[in-house]
Amino acid sequence: MSERSAAEKAEYLSKRRARVLPFLAVLLIAQQGSFLSDHPGAERPVDHFKIAAWLILSVVILMALLTGGSWLQPKRVRELLNDEATQAHRAQAFRAAFIASMLGCVFLYFLTMFTHVEAREAIHIILTVGLSAALLSFGILERRALRNE
Amino acid sequence: MNERLANRLKDRRAELGLTQAELAEKVGVTRKTVNTVENGVFTPSTTLAIKLSHALGISVEQLFWIER
Repeated sequence: MSERSAAEKAEYLSKRRARVLPFLAVLLIAQQGSFLSDHPGAERPVDHFKIAAWLILSVVILMALLTGGSWLQPKRVRELLNDEATQAHRAQAFRAAFIASMLGCVFLYFLTMFTHVEAREAIHIILTVGLSAALLSFGILERRALRNE
Repeated sequence: MNERLANRLKDRRAELGLTQAELAEKVGVTRKTVNTVENGVFTPSTTLAIKLSHALGISVEQLFWIER
């Protein structure tokens, strides 16, 4: 792959990533919403499937955020997709995720004063809040950076 | 103290007739990174600042300065 085509591919993938990230956050939250409103436990086979799907999606998103993703792309494209500005955006996104997770914990602490919250539900909420905050923050920063030449 | 890193990246790039994408390619980053540095949104590392100054044929001090 020539240098030019690697740069063009990285530019295209970078734009696509910026568009997809907020939708991924919405998908994660929607999945979470259906879990909590529907059935908080895992008693039916379909519940096990739902939980597994949510957990797999969460782990894949976490790994993609940690490593920069685009695992199937050539090394040069991956390097460009994970350049200096992107790494700074990811660091900011992790900061946002940490703050959101901590606030989620505080919210759950107060919630348990009024109602019973299962450990599994609490984990769902904290993980979803943290990952969604990271995805939204990263997506917004990337979109802003890609704007106007 | 309110300080920001100003630059004349855009002017120098225009003088040389380079696009953001071409400059990005020269220094091994994406156009997005060049765009954010130009707009003052992102403060580049020392390594990138030196690479940019080399690519644009001027010193780092001529390319970047601190505004108070």
